[in-house]
Amino acid sequence: MGCCYSSEAEASDQEEETKRLLEPAASPPSKVLNGAEQSYHNLPSARTDEQAMLSSILAKTAINIIDVSAADSQGMEQHEYMDRARQYSTRLAMLSNNLTHWKKLPLLPSLTNQPHQVLASDPVPFADLQQVSRIAAYAFSALSQIRVDAKEELVVQFGIP
Amino acid sequence: WVPSLTAPCPPSMKSPAVVGVLCTDSQGLNLGCRGTLSDEHAGIISVLAQQAAKLSSDPTDTPVVCLESDTGNIMIQKHDTITVAVHKLAS
Repeated sequence: MGCCYSSEAEASDQEEETKRLLEPAASPPSKVLNGAEQSYHNLPSARTDEQAMLSSILAKTAINIIDVSAADSQGMEQHEYMDRARQYSTRLAMLSNNLTHWKKLPLLPSLTNQPHQVLASDPVPFADLQQVSRIAAYAFSALSQIRVDAKEELVVQFGIP
Repeated sequence: WVPSLTAPCPPSMKSPAVVGVLCTDSQGLNLGCRGTLSDEHAGIISVLAQQAAKLSSDPTDTPVVCLESDTGNIMIQKHDTITVAVHKLAS
């Protein structure tokens, strides 16, 4: 069935997962951080360590923040919207034609509608398990004792005068 | 008494609740069977025992695979090269 999760797997997938879905715009969103940005660029080279730390924190936050409301999004008109919906549904229909074998998979049979009763029932008796082990050992020893019992010559000369 | 492959079958069938016995090799070849278990079960019985053995990394730890139902159990155990299945009715 395949492994859904393994604790030994490297965490190298995390890099892919943390990649941004929305690429940050070429220029950081100007609405929110205008003042801070300007102050970052205009500070003189000589500044206190505290100010440097504060501004680096600010810069890190500015890089990490994704302002969804300020993301560049063009408004779509109604007809464009309908066109795209139609496009997507035809693509889906095309793809689902290739997945016919999934539709044919039978559902697993439902064995019981009282699973708790089944699970809470008595376990297999240990005496039975011991009996099966005994039978298996007995059968194996019988099998290992099979051997050829040669009583006669395999090749016989006919008595031809 | 000549040991034979069918020899284990009658003694275990004498136990009243046992209604089927089957011996198979590691490749699913039916070596002998009696009662409710027959040829067509040999393959799956050998495979079930092999797959269950993979659950433990200890090779000496052979599990007994139990298929439980309301009417009875089928217990499967692998012993070296052969796998034995016993179908026992619930008492």
